[in-house]
Amino acid sequence: MRRGLATGLLAGLVLGLLVVGTPASAYHTRFQWGCNDTYFNHDPVTRANARDYAFVAAAEGYQWAGGCWNGNNVDDSPGDPVEDPNTLGEGGDCSGFTFKSWWERAETGDPWFRYHAWMQNVHGPYAAADFKYGTGAPNTTVAKANTVYMDAFASTYHIGMIYWANTAYNQDRIIEAKCEACGTGTWPRTYRGNPDYSGARRLYWAG
Amino acid sequence: MKKRWRWPLAGFVLGAVVGATVLTVNVVGARSPEPVAVRAGFGEILHTPVLLARAREPVELSYDLVCGAPKDALGSHCTPSGSVFVRPVGSSTFSKLRLEREPDGLLTAVVPAGQAAKGFDYYVVMDNGRGQTASLPEAGAEAPQHVWPLEEWTTVDIGAASFGQARSPTSVLRGLSWGRGDRAIGLDSGREQSRVGPSAFDVAPDGSVVLLDQVNRRLVLLRPGSGPAHVPVQFSGGEGDLAVDAAGRIHVLDSATRPLVRTFTTDGSPIAAVPLAEATADMIRIGPSGPLVHAYPSEMWLPTGPGRPPFGPERQLGSAEPARRADGGFGVVVRASPAAVKLALVRGERVVSAWLLHSASSFGEVQLAEPYGDGMLVVVRLWNEKHAEFRVLRLGPKRLIQRFDVTPAEWAESASLSRFRLQGSTLYQLRSDPSGIEIARFEIGGTK
Repeated sequence: MRRGLATGLLAGLVLGLLVVGTPASAYHTRFQWGCNDTYFNHDPVTRANARDYAFVAAAEGYQWAGGCWNGNNVDDSPGDPVEDPNTLGEGGDCSGFTFKSWWERAETGDPWFRYHAWMQNVHGPYAAADFKYGTGAPNTTVAKANTVYMDAFASTYHIGMIYWANTAYNQDRIIEAKCEACGTGTWPRTYRGNPDYSGARRLYWAG
Repeated sequence: MKKRWRWPLAGFVLGAVVGATVLTVNVVGARSPEPVAVRAGFGEILHTPVLLARAREPVELSYDLVCGAPKDALGSHCTPSGSVFVRPVGSSTFSKLRLEREPDGLLTAVVPAGQAAKGFDYYVVMDNGRGQTASLPEAGAEAPQHVWPLEEWTTVDIGAASFGQARSPTSVLRGLSWGRGDRAIGLDSGREQSRVGPSAFDVAPDGSVVLLDQVNRRLVLLRPGSGPAHVPVQFSGGEGDLAVDAAGRIHVLDSATRPLVRTFTTDGSPIAAVPLAEATADMIRIGPSGPLVHAYPSEMWLPTGPGRPPFGPERQLGSAEPARRADGGFGVVVRASPAAVKLALVRGERVVSAWLLHSASSFGEVQLAEPYGDGMLVVVRLWNEKHAEFRVLRLGPKRLIQRFDVTPAEWAESASLSRFRLQGSTLYQLRSDPSGIEIARFEIGGTK
């Protein structure tokens, strides 16, 4: 009896772990299932409008190739494996967050403005390197010394926008979707003096 | 059912239930973060503290406000207003100065030269135009900002940048390759992602180097004469900072959604953890009375206290200071811009020594500013669009005593102001390249 019970217990345990464990190891929050496709074209906005918009994403999550967040100041899908868009987590990545915060349009030849709802799941057509080199009608390059708030510092692998320039220790507070473990936020950075980074600018702000 | 199958079947069912339950509880538990609201709908006041200003001149205080958005819909930009409250040194009361809107959108107030003559305390109260108000610093009159008047200072022209002429290290402590193994250190990188290496390091009193390998959620201890030792630690965020106190305790700034300061024993056992009062922080340093954290948006130094329990957020705000308390009773004050770097050692409201640095090149960040002998040791970045270097400056009371350049070696990102540490007369630098990291040492000379 005892041997039979032990054998059955072991087999059941293995089955239970396999049945629940297989989907569990691929467990995701499926945050993007609640996102939408709400956007509309808009007249040019100011840098201040754009910074207000970006600020909502601070303290939200980061999702590689993602694009939607809910503004509750919580990373609702922490710890997803990186470089996998299928994890469907909350937040944008660095270039997608910049695209939305700069009110850009998906059509790369169209330089004008578009409002993207926070929960609109859109990344946009640009990678960090595209911003670095001023690719696309709305984008251009600018000397780092001449940048102002809501310009950006872009490398071939990352981009962050200037939230507030010149701290007491002469850093820039940057608003950026940084990494899965970091999320999205406003952090003091030294990108301005780092040769990997160039100045990037969205054109046609209203002020 | 045959009787011989009864017990195996019962065991099978029981095992399946137990296995499924254990996994479900663990997975759901691991994926259900406690919601932490770090910002209400107010937004955030933006201001860089003035800290050091020429005596007998008016002082302009400049602010901006980022508006919190109440809902996921297009809304109008808020219309902030507010006042600065100013208390000249020697006065017991604050007077009110209304903020005026400038053409560039900033809100400013000018403190007249008479009020600024001996220095002054100040804080701002702003209304976001939606009926919500906030002050900066948050504790207002209880722990205000301060401006020290510069009666006299030493002007130092540090010369233009000379890229590519960096000094070689006196010695290199140890190299670690990227990875997860025993002789490796974590790198968070990938296609279309930032390259984040170890966030920070410090030098313990016994000469050990302690690295924050936050990517692998561990501390790496490099002790002279032995291999790297690893201590797993709890860490929530993607980046942080680290400081070791005189007793060898390790204080870690965890830049999670709401920053925390975690304290560990020398061998990595957790002692305490306390949330920080402000939403962003970049530096943790050891002061005479325990750890100090440089936090934003106030740019004040928040103390977390010398003992257990650590100071909670309210006490941190109430005892925040604009200068970083250092050994010898000094406060260290740094106020830098691309055109000039102002540095001062202060005692209370009195400026003991002050320096004004100029260069033909653009200044970047001040990486390190520590009392050194009867002056200071400073590490500051010089840069142009294509190049960068760190310049190390040993400042005497009235002159520049020594200078040399250090290559940035910043292939991987660390915490923004955690690339250098000073212990005794040795300057340590965390360096990285595509193969991994190393700790370089530079002997400064002179008397610490």
